[in-house]
Amino acid sequence: MRKNFYLIENEINEHMARYEVTKSPEVLKDLVSCLMEWYRAWAPPEELGATVFSSYGLNFHTRLFSALPPSFAIAFKELCACLLGPPEANPEDEEQQVRPKWDASVQSTIWKNFEVLGIIDRYESIIASVGYEYIEEHVLKTCAGEWGTPVLEELRVWMSEKVVPWMLHVYARGASSPEEAKTMLQGVGSRFDFHINKTLCDLRTKEIFDIIIDFPDSMGALYDLRDCLQRVDQRASLVSSLRKSNRKRLLHPGADTRLILQQYVATIKCLRIIDPPGVLLFKVADPIRRYLRERPDTIRSIVANLVGDDESGDSLVDENEPIQPLQQPELEDYTDPNWEPDPIDAGPEFRTNKPSDVISTLVSIYDSKDLFVKELQVLLAQRLLAITNDNSDRVERERRNVEILKIRFGEAALQVCEVMLKDMTDSKRIDGHVQSQKASIIHPTIISRHFWPALESSDLVMPGQFNTLQSAYAHEFTVFKPDKKLKWLPHLGTVQLEIQLEDRTLEVDVPPLEAAFIELFSQKPIWILDDLIEAVGPVDRSASLKALSTWVDHGVLIEDPEFTFNLLEKADMAGSAAARERDPSRLAATVMDNPPLLSVQQQQAEQMRVYWKFIEGMLTNIGALPLDRIQTMLKFAPGYDRTIEQLGGFMEAARREGLVVVRDGIWRLNK
Amino acid sequence: MEQLTSSLAPPRASPKSNVASSSQQVAGSVAKRLSNELMTLMMSSSPGISAFPKHDGNLFEWVGTIEGPSETIYAGLTFKISISFPSNYPYVAPTIKFDTPCYHPNVDITGGAICLDILQDKWSAVYSVQTILLSLQSLLGEPNNASPLNPDAASLWSTPTAFKTQLMKHYRPVSESS
Repeated sequence: MRKNFYLIENEINEHMARYEVTKSPEVLKDLVSCLMEWYRAWAPPEELGATVFSSYGLNFHTRLFSALPPSFAIAFKELCACLLGPPEANPEDEEQQVRPKWDASVQSTIWKNFEVLGIIDRYESIIASVGYEYIEEHVLKTCAGEWGTPVLEELRVWMSEKVVPWMLHVYARGASSPEEAKTMLQGVGSRFDFHINKTLCDLRTKEIFDIIIDFPDSMGALYDLRDCLQRVDQRASLVSSLRKSNRKRLLHPGADTRLILQQYVATIKCLRIIDPPGVLLFKVADPIRRYLRERPDTIRSIVANLVGDDESGDSLVDENEPIQPLQQPELEDYTDPNWEPDPIDAGPEFRTNKPSDVISTLVSIYDSKDLFVKELQVLLAQRLLAITNDNSDRVERERRNVEILKIRFGEAALQVCEVMLKDMTDSKRIDGHVQSQKASIIHPTIISRHFWPALESSDLVMPGQFNTLQSAYAHEFTVFKPDKKLKWLPHLGTVQLEIQLEDRTLEVDVPPLEAAFIELFSQKPIWILDDLIEAVGPVDRSASLKALSTWVDHGVLIEDPEFTFNLLEKADMAGSAAARERDPSRLAATVMDNPPLLSVQQQQAEQMRVYWKFIEGMLTNIGALPLDRIQTMLKFAPGYDRTIEQLGGFMEAARREGLVVVRDGIWRLNK
Repeated sequence: MEQLTSSLAPPRASPKSNVASSSQQVAGSVAKRLSNELMTLMMSSSPGISAFPKHDGNLFEWVGTIEGPSETIYAGLTFKISISFPSNYPYVAPTIKFDTPCYHPNVDITGGAICLDILQDKWSAVYSVQTILLSLQSLLGEPNNASPLNPDAASLWSTPTAFKTQLMKHYRPVSESS
């Protein structure tokens, strides 16, 4: 045999060479059957007994394996893959279609040959890897982007139909009965099942961000992921993958705060499905919450959503969800017989938040709900001030909103809002009374200064008839309520005007500044901008220009030359200017936009100015100080509630302005 | 027993024990007054004068800074003072002394004690830290040579060059580190 083994070697080499050329598993199959023939031909007769036979087998295997070239492993893998599941015919790709199909009997012969030649034992890892790759390919092909329905069960069915018969050849050869085959397959079967889980899990982990975007249409994928994660320990990689894609796709200046909030809410809902205790959620949510905290308009977005101010329509809050009070994080009740320890991968700072409602979670982004309440007040004030006599029923709507919010934030927090609403109704009543005494065309909204957010002040003085009207009204008010004094905010509100010109009459709703200007034009027809501004008191130059351009747009004024405005008594006097396109949307816009309230942010900047005085004072007198000393010294300032991080940011800003210098963490005034 | 009766006695009868029994409450109101004064001082931004509590948590010890008024001999110099408020402030004047040596007819050059009527017999509860600081600032330019604490300085006041030499000899600039 030793002498003649070169024959086999030749045969192998010849076949492998042919295989190299054709890449066809068919050749390899021939090689295997060829080898089988050699094996049979040299086999000692049965009579010589088992010992001789087995030593022959061993000998043959040894020689065979030493003769097989390295490329055989690759070729063999290819052959196994063919046996497992030939790829679907691809008509456009005819010459690639070299993988032949064998029927079951041929397959079982080949496997038998493999076994006799000892190839299965030697190349077992290759065979297994063929199985794994086949699974991976199938999962990726069928499941990627399919999130609607759970696919795990389908995959299991697919495996029992397609993979199990192949496994029978490999792993359950020689099984005499189906039961025996079953036990033989058990170990390897669970390994393959695990592999399905793992592949699916990897796939879904990669897709998780888009799955969350698709929520609630991606429930299937979420259920799959939940089941997979129970078998496969991939929670850490899911967290890191989601955090990474959040960082890359969500938490950057390009994303709208509203969108971030929506995605956050979706994330909450999704991860609650995958992992009810909320450990994953806690880990993923942390960067999002931290980022949201830094955004200036987060509170505003949330509050706008709370009061249903969202124009876009898709609200963060599920309408069907019952309105419930905000939940405070509660201490764990260890006497609870159903108490369970925190999951094993929970970090030390993990707090179980019991499945609470979305709003509570959003509000808990911030340390206190006071900020929300403040922003709510600002928003409510804005909405109330926008209400005119025509749509006074909107007060009722706001009242309803406030009632709903009371359930969430508590009665006490919204007391100020109550006062604001009461002011609205009182205004109406007072107005009714004053009108009955002395009819007036102005209908003021009388607000209690202490309960409303700071309103932007203005030094606007209404000229001519407006002033007369105001003082007449104020007089009546003082008679009605002697203990109160009416302080006008003439720059707020709207004025309904009827302008009579020589050839036409205009009826418009405009802000007070516009009305003041046009009133002035009744005195003389040509005004210079600076004179106009002087006549109404010190007002902002750009605001004045805007107000005047409103009239230019209406075709009432013309600017010629620059900063000199002429009244157009006759429309055709305008010449080219009247031909100017009148953009109705622009006219509408001038009436709409007046946010007269200082936002919470502006109020904070105002407060910071006070604190700066204190910082200046302490640095002047005590000398240089480290940041933490400044922080504790600021306790002297009334109402100081900033964190040291906020203070650090503020000091850094002051440094950029050249007000202070810092060395080795010690701050001093820049002299 | 003595203590018990005295603490129960009406306040006017034994003013001393009254201070002891209600010191807590008094300290609270004094602290409130002081923090109000601090707020006013911080927001008023008067040029050249400033003061701030020395340590956090203690409103009764302040550090002040006075810049010499322009067009006086003290122009361009900065003086540190320490202000110590008594527990019955504002009924009693705070104790104020110069930490920076100040060569001045009404200031003790070694101890820094100040001879100013409103800090002694003319004190009134309507004065505040701000008024004291303003008075001190004007005292620098207009000393009261009739009752000098530093007779040498008082006699030199009429000869500005010699006075300036003495002033600069004693003056030490405020060091930056606290």
